[in-house]
Amino acid sequence: MKVELQINNTTNANGRFVGWSPSPCRIRITDPTGATTQTVVVKLSAVSTATGGAVVFRKTAAGTSSTTLDLSLPINGASVPFFVVGRKASISNGDVSIQARAQIANSPIVGVIRLMVRIRKNAESLTTAERDRFLAAFASLNTSGRFQDFRDMHTLLSQPQAHGAKGFLPWHRSYLLDLEREIQTIDPSVALPYWRFDQPGPKLFTLDFMGVAGPTGTVQWSATNPMQFWATDSALGVTRSPMAGWTPTTQPGPGVITEAATFALGTTYVAFRFPMELNPHGQAHTRWFGFIRSVPTAAKDPLFFLLHCNVDRLWAKWQRINGRFDPAVAASYDSAPANPGHNLPDTMWPWNGITNATDPTRPPTAPGGGMASSPCTTAPGTQPRVQQTLDYRGTISAASRLAFDYDDA
Amino acid sequence: MEVITTAAGADSRGAKSAGAAPFLAAPVPASDEEFAELVDTLVADPNRHDQLTDLLRENHPWYNERGTATVAQMRGWVLLGFARTGVSDHALLFVLEELDTGIDPYLVATAACALRSYAKPNPALAPFVMRALAQNRYRDDPVSFLAYADYSLGPEATSPVRELLLTLAWLGPHARTVLPELEATVKSGGLSKKALVEAHRTLEAIRGSEEEPDCCKLPDGLISKFSWAAKARRSSESIASTVFEDQDGAGITFNEFFQGRPSIVVFFYTRCDNPLKCSLTVTKLARVQKLLESRNLAEQIQTAAITYDPAFDVAERIRRYGEKRSVRMDASHRMLRATNGIDSLRQHFKLGVNFVESLVNRHRLEVYVLDRNGRVAASFERLHWDEQEVVDRAIEVLAERKKPARIATPMMGTLASIAIAFFPKCPVCWAAYLSLLGVTGLIQVPYSPWLQPILAVLMIANIASVWLRGRATGRMIGPYLVTLGALIILASRINSSSLKLAALGIVLTLAGSLLGVFTVQKSSAHLNF
Amino acid sequence: MTTKKRASKKAAKAPKGMSALAALSVATNAKKTTAERVSALAQAPEAVMKSDENLQKLCDVVKNTDEPVEVRLEAINALATAAFAVATFEPYRNDYIATLQEVAVDPNQEIRESALGLLASEKNKFAQKKLLDGLKNPAKALVPPEKALQLLSYDVHTEAYAVARDIISNSPNELAKQEAMRLLAADPNSTKLFEKLLRDKDETREVRQVAASALNSLAPQKLQEHAREMLLDDSEYEDIQATSLSAVKQFGDDEEVAKDKALLKSVNRLSADAKSSKYKKSAKDFLAMVAEKEEK
Repeated sequence: MKVELQINNTTNANGRFVGWSPSPCRIRITDPTGATTQTVVVKLSAVSTATGGAVVFRKTAAGTSSTTLDLSLPINGASVPFFVVGRKASISNGDVSIQARAQIANSPIVGVIRLMVRIRKNAESLTTAERDRFLAAFASLNTSGRFQDFRDMHTLLSQPQAHGAKGFLPWHRSYLLDLEREIQTIDPSVALPYWRFDQPGPKLFTLDFMGVAGPTGTVQWSATNPMQFWATDSALGVTRSPMAGWTPTTQPGPGVITEAATFALGTTYVAFRFPMELNPHGQAHTRWFGFIRSVPTAAKDPLFFLLHCNVDRLWAKWQRINGRFDPAVAASYDSAPANPGHNLPDTMWPWNGITNATDPTRPPTAPGGGMASSPCTTAPGTQPRVQQTLDYRGTISAASRLAFDYDDA
Repeated sequence: MEVITTAAGADSRGAKSAGAAPFLAAPVPASDEEFAELVDTLVADPNRHDQLTDLLRENHPWYNERGTATVAQMRGWVLLGFARTGVSDHALLFVLEELDTGIDPYLVATAACALRSYAKPNPALAPFVMRALAQNRYRDDPVSFLAYADYSLGPEATSPVRELLLTLAWLGPHARTVLPELEATVKSGGLSKKALVEAHRTLEAIRGSEEEPDCCKLPDGLISKFSWAAKARRSSESIASTVFEDQDGAGITFNEFFQGRPSIVVFFYTRCDNPLKCSLTVTKLARVQKLLESRNLAEQIQTAAITYDPAFDVAERIRRYGEKRSVRMDASHRMLRATNGIDSLRQHFKLGVNFVESLVNRHRLEVYVLDRNGRVAASFERLHWDEQEVVDRAIEVLAERKKPARIATPMMGTLASIAIAFFPKCPVCWAAYLSLLGVTGLIQVPYSPWLQPILAVLMIANIASVWLRGRATGRMIGPYLVTLGALIILASRINSSSLKLAALGIVLTLAGSLLGVFTVQKSSAHLNF
Repeated sequence: MTTKKRASKKAAKAPKGMSALAALSVATNAKKTTAERVSALAQAPEAVMKSDENLQKLCDVVKNTDEPVEVRLEAINALATAAFAVATFEPYRNDYIATLQEVAVDPNQEIRESALGLLASEKNKFAQKKLLDGLKNPAKALVPPEKALQLLSYDVHTEAYAVARDIISNSPNELAKQEAMRLLAADPNSTKLFEKLLRDKDETREVRQVAASALNSLAPQKLQEHAREMLLDDSEYEDIQATSLSAVKQFGDDEEVAKDKALLKSVNRLSADAKSSKYKKSAKDFLAMVAEKEEK
């Protein structure tokens, strides 16, 4: 007897990634040999490596979790749904496997599928292998030319779409998601790490990771680090040096408020967003000299994306603390009128392709096309709306799940 | 904006000087001070204001090897010169160009200032000013007009937003069409305190006047952003062998791609940091392609995007650039870089571009419609172009090939050659010929020796037309045969007993004439499916 | 002209519970200590965007050469932080840029570098002119040549190429040479220069690494060819071989590499003989990756 298991309801191997939210899966009998009844009970269990991820099972998205799950499968091959929920993050692709054992004579294993609990982690907690995979994929994206779109999305001409207005957090969440998905087409095991700017970064600011400032402020990399080939706007490398008196490997960003202080800014989006955009977000940017210090050049520095990943993590964690996933709840967002692209039902530039040819508030071009897709979920589609970025975990509606999660959110 | 036509091609084919010769002969200024003095000299002399306009051509040699910042500084100073001399109709296009697509604060501010020296406010100018305001409001950097390369920021300092507001105020009631947009901008809360004061004055100036501007009347004499080059189509012979590499790395010559069908050609480079120029141009090219597809013309009208920066914009780069902007790429629609013959390319199109080393330091918007012989038939320059308009022009050029083949012309010329060869030398021969032709009734027609020179002129006209066709197509066998045939016919006239010679001359003339006609027909016929 | 070095000190703690207006008041109060004022500036950006007067107070601190340098630098940072909120900062940008331009010629080098850095990222013409003038005429230099080259490289359209080439030939120092190379990486006509520098064993590792990076940008196939040759060259430095291996691993043609027995042999040798354990590991990982792809 054989069964077919699908994670995220896809046979695509690049779809075998789960997070903390329930991922829809299914199982069906493809070869009923050995079955003596019209249905066969199959027990699902997860097997992990010593350092690998861990998952649990649910019959329904909102059901109780268990370490095993019995499902009754018809021999006619009809699929039976179930859900997988990550419980511990993986460190490599396929370090968790789900086994299906038929409850027939000899209890044979009739199906196995390897998957990964793929989670955005603190850059400081990455294993060497995780770090190297991220760097290799990011460097490839840079050289492929696709990275230029992300650079073009974050220039001064386009900034009113993304900064200093209420859409700041949704826009950057979408921006990071788009970038991450592009990286995952190169290596699906990679998730964007984040830089905890309110903590020291002893591993992050080394030659083997985000580099170390040289005497002129040009970042130096080790000879084995693929970031040594980083280039943007036909200029080489990265300019980034810490402000005088700060040692990033042993000290947090000076004057950057802590996570607790960030959450204490307010329990409503209105109270939370603007102050946090200035500090810790703006403050983290300006602890450096170099590209990352200024809006027109910030996206030239790969650290920029780790910075914003932390900003997004802070928002995600704030959402969880305050229950702010539901766009229908006023405190989850800011309902004051704003330019197109900042209101809940609005699609966002550049993914919506709208330019100033039809809307004078938009930039002249919309680089990069629609939002990258993911085999793990259909959300948010090619033209994400602001409101879709709030329920990123699928808490309110499972269909809203964006298939990314943070290690501590 | 509606197309306004006056003198065609004045800009793209070189500035026309109303007075003194162009200033090109002057050596390149050695210093900032010298440049400023030279400009001031031109400003002070009303007879040399056209030379001031000439300084705004991108390919003016004074901009060679200058960085973009220096070029901006120089151009801005010239524009400020116009603020003192008054903006001529010829110069207006350059001013509007800066407002339409400029993102340099100094250039936008100087253009806005210069516009106020135009003869008369006009409603057609308001959208340019408002567009510049929308595009530059987040780059409202301080600038100084006090002196050349002056960056002092005292009380006299100004800014692009301020200058644009002042220009809108100058337009007054002529800016009513943009009043809602200006009101929205003011209401958005993004203007500084100083700018707000200016903005309110501007709003008053627009609302307050009782004058009713002429609705949408276009200023007379404004040089068109679009021009037909029909009367000045340059032969593509010099560029025939320019070699390109396309987005897939395939090599192709100019003639191989551009001969046979009309083409729409845009210029760009991937390192252009003005999103209102190259990125938008190539994005619009994709829209042009969609329009062609919707009218089933995508195989009859080609498109090409050619990079100004072939050394850096290798095949892979231009392919990605096009892909990201949804450009269609196939045998009839290509992204190209010239691998040799770049100078010929620049000359053929008279490109509005200049360089520092191999890098572009300044370029204009330019879109061309080429005819089926690769000659520039129409151009859209400097200002934003409308995709539909470009497609319409290309369709008009396409329709040109549907005119009947002009076989009559070479035949008439050939007949003239035959007639010359056998023209009777005396009245008796004349009568004999008429009998031979059975026109006995016309035997009374007297011997008409005056016909000879007319026939000779017709023969020469035939030779000239065959030569022109030959140069256009690059095939010269026809002209050589026709010329040889004519010489042999003339020789046969001198040697009165040489009928064979005359016959040979006629055969060669006929062959050369017909070769020229059918060569042209063939090159367009094979693509007519 | 050297950068004044300060001893690394404990980073300022983020202020607790101070309103933005209160923070601005502390930050602009000359009677407070430097540490208090620097700390308060972390909370000041929001206040800056409440009125022109608030902005001017902070700009005045930046421009006042009697103020402590630390306070002035942090005030610049506070303005830069506020500038990130582009839409909200719009009314204040003009004065912000004007302030930066004014202090770009400040007597203090750190202030100059801080201001010029921000202006350069905006492709500000004033800043570019000052930097270029300083390169052409050292008496006018506001920052060291390597810094000027670095800031000019923010905009590929500057006219610094000729100066950069001169500096590579006659470099005042090694850092200036490296920055000149980085700037020239935008010039396709410099490909041969980078090839030469990459293969010159008398050049420093940093210079050769920049050359490799430049070739990857301008002529990636050439880098692959040189990388292969350098890996095959037993007399080559292992750190350059490690860079070469990175290039091959990251950007090489997997199929070609798998067939290249000579290359694989060299990498194998590196995995065994390299002095650096990091380079050994990199070589081993590469061979494992090739083997894995071969299996597939």
